[in-house]
Amino acid sequence: MFQDFFRTLRAKGLHVTLGEWLTLQEALNDGLCGSSLTQFYYVARMILVKSETDFDKYDMAFEECFKPAQRQTEVGAEMLRWLDKSDLLELAHEDARHHLNQMEEDLKIDKEDVEEKFKQRLKDQDTEHNGGSFWIGTMGKTSFGNMGGNVGGVRVGGKTGYQSAFSVVGARKFRDFRDDRVLDNRQFQLAFRKLRQFSSRLDIPESELDIDGTVDKTCNNGGCLQIVMKKPRKNAVKLLLLMDSGGTMIPFSSLLNDLFQAVHKSNHYKDVKTYYFHNCIYSKLYKTPECENGDWIDTDWMFRNVGSDYKVIIVGDAAMAPEELYSDSGNYRGPNGGLSGYEWLQLIKRKYKKVVWLNPKMAPGRAPWREAETAIKELFPMYKLTVDGLNQAMVKLMVNK
Amino acid sequence: MQELKNMNLGGNTGNGTSFSGTKEYVASEELMASVNIAIALKKPLLIKGEPGTGKTMLAEAVAKALGKRLIIWSIKSTTKAQEGLYVYDTIQRLYDGQFGVEGVDDIARYIKLGKLGEAFDSEEQVVLLIDEIDKADLEFPNDLLWELDQMEFYINETHRTVKAKHRPIVIITSNAEKELPDAFLRRCIFHYIEFPDKELMEEIVRVHFPDVEANLLQNAMEVFYEIRSIRDIRKKPSTSELIDWINALQIGGIPADRIKKALPFIGVVVKKDEDLELVKHPVR
Repeated sequence: MFQDFFRTLRAKGLHVTLGEWLTLQEALNDGLCGSSLTQFYYVARMILVKSETDFDKYDMAFEECFKPAQRQTEVGAEMLRWLDKSDLLELAHEDARHHLNQMEEDLKIDKEDVEEKFKQRLKDQDTEHNGGSFWIGTMGKTSFGNMGGNVGGVRVGGKTGYQSAFSVVGARKFRDFRDDRVLDNRQFQLAFRKLRQFSSRLDIPESELDIDGTVDKTCNNGGCLQIVMKKPRKNAVKLLLLMDSGGTMIPFSSLLNDLFQAVHKSNHYKDVKTYYFHNCIYSKLYKTPECENGDWIDTDWMFRNVGSDYKVIIVGDAAMAPEELYSDSGNYRGPNGGLSGYEWLQLIKRKYKKVVWLNPKMAPGRAPWREAETAIKELFPMYKLTVDGLNQAMVKLMVNK
Repeated sequence: MQELKNMNLGGNTGNGTSFSGTKEYVASEELMASVNIAIALKKPLLIKGEPGTGKTMLAEAVAKALGKRLIIWSIKSTTKAQEGLYVYDTIQRLYDGQFGVEGVDDIARYIKLGKLGEAFDSEEQVVLLIDEIDKADLEFPNDLLWELDQMEFYINETHRTVKAKHRPIVIITSNAEKELPDAFLRRCIFHYIEFPDKELMEEIVRVHFPDVEANLLQNAMEVFYEIRSIRDIRKKPSTSELIDWINALQIGGIPADRIKKALPFIGVVVKKDEDLELVKHPVR
């Protein structure tokens, strides 16, 4: 029954398995859904969907299958399509923003202004199919990532009790939970926990009771207890964090701050080193995010002193101008060291085996119009700085080859 | 509750047991339905939700409503899956062996069943709560797949298979601190407890304080939801904090009209310095 529904769910990116589907059939067989669509909605959801972050996708699939085009909720689906493609739209804003970024003062005013407008719009928009959703949608994807979450603040029909399936779907109550949104500190930390490689071959004192060894020794000793100690297993992962703190990264500063905090709170690494760069990596790396001349180390020094067993995470928007990347005098902040930014990146690739690039505003799919981003994607695996992206990046850092 | 019976949501659970909340625990209809369906399909029920939405209390309520014994397995960050099945106390046996204590050759004496083992071994059907499963190591849920599927495990040392005499009703809670593995999720029925809206909240508070003054409740709830709606708040206050607060207000004998102005005992609701600052001087 409902094979179409199954297919739609999978098409929406829900990994519904055959086992789960059969369980649902069993539930239908046992008459657990009665004959009500509403009950079916809940029963199918609790069996097929295992995370509140996916409820929104489920809602959309359900809507698509069981409700032929209906004016009010159609907008909901359309809005999401808008969000998915917002990159193009963002590009249009990008130029303007780039200009503003040059003058931080202006940016602040601009930010407040937009924020004000946004609040106003939230206030005004009291129905779902209000055209205003267009604007709020876009903002959710641009610098005001977090505020996107606030769209949910305007709850349409978030009524009490047991609602009909469609009023639940229409309300899109679980939109806030989608995990492709930009993430927060706690989730960062959890993602970083994936990065571990236990080893007991480290240079630390033997402080743990080796039970097997003790049993062995004791038996050989005729039953007279003989305790054996061993080294505890510790995480052997070493991390090198290179962060862009150029002007175009300012809108993401709180996000980067969160990432930085998360790395340093995850104190299970053997070693963490953090350096900063401005737009692209050249012959100098800065010790502080302010990127002040003089307060730096030679990139060559890093190559010599930070071993190739370090796992490297580069964070940046990869939005250099072509000359910043390809010209050997493209660094307008400091020395180039005779090589272009691209060549420096190639050196990093050669030295370190595990490198990932995290980009807070990566374009989905191929984006040939973003020249620098496309070029860097060829050098390093690039991930968007979201829960999903970070998790994928951590996996990439852990797997061999 | 009446509504639920009319809808017959998951009422047919085979053995005639059906959960519909208790006097002390107010459950949304969705939640009740998920409990009943989990029982009917004989699958573990995975409950997620904000802290303080009563995930742990659910198991107590289910056990009470169905008149079954509740076994709680609280998971800590160091908990291993094996501990839930059984522990072989080798060190004790070693020492006993050294001093020639009687019965050392009987390994079974040193096998202690864990909470899961206890639930399987029980003579009647029990409710098993695996509390905060996400606290444990990432691999923890995977280590329990077979046991939760087959409801049995094998004790290597004594060559004994412990098989559930009556399949326990398994309720698992998670605070979403870690992602749970897919293989594990596939086997569960999932329910996300949403934060209660005002009406349900009123019902919940009245369960705890049947004679709460209407005016006081109204004012406290308004402040509470106001605080929850502040955008930058670090830690949103939860149901249990509201209940504590109302209790404090009642004991303190605070007149209802002072609640909004003076925010008495606000420390019960707001726990972080930064949040207190926000609540007292809202930026809007």
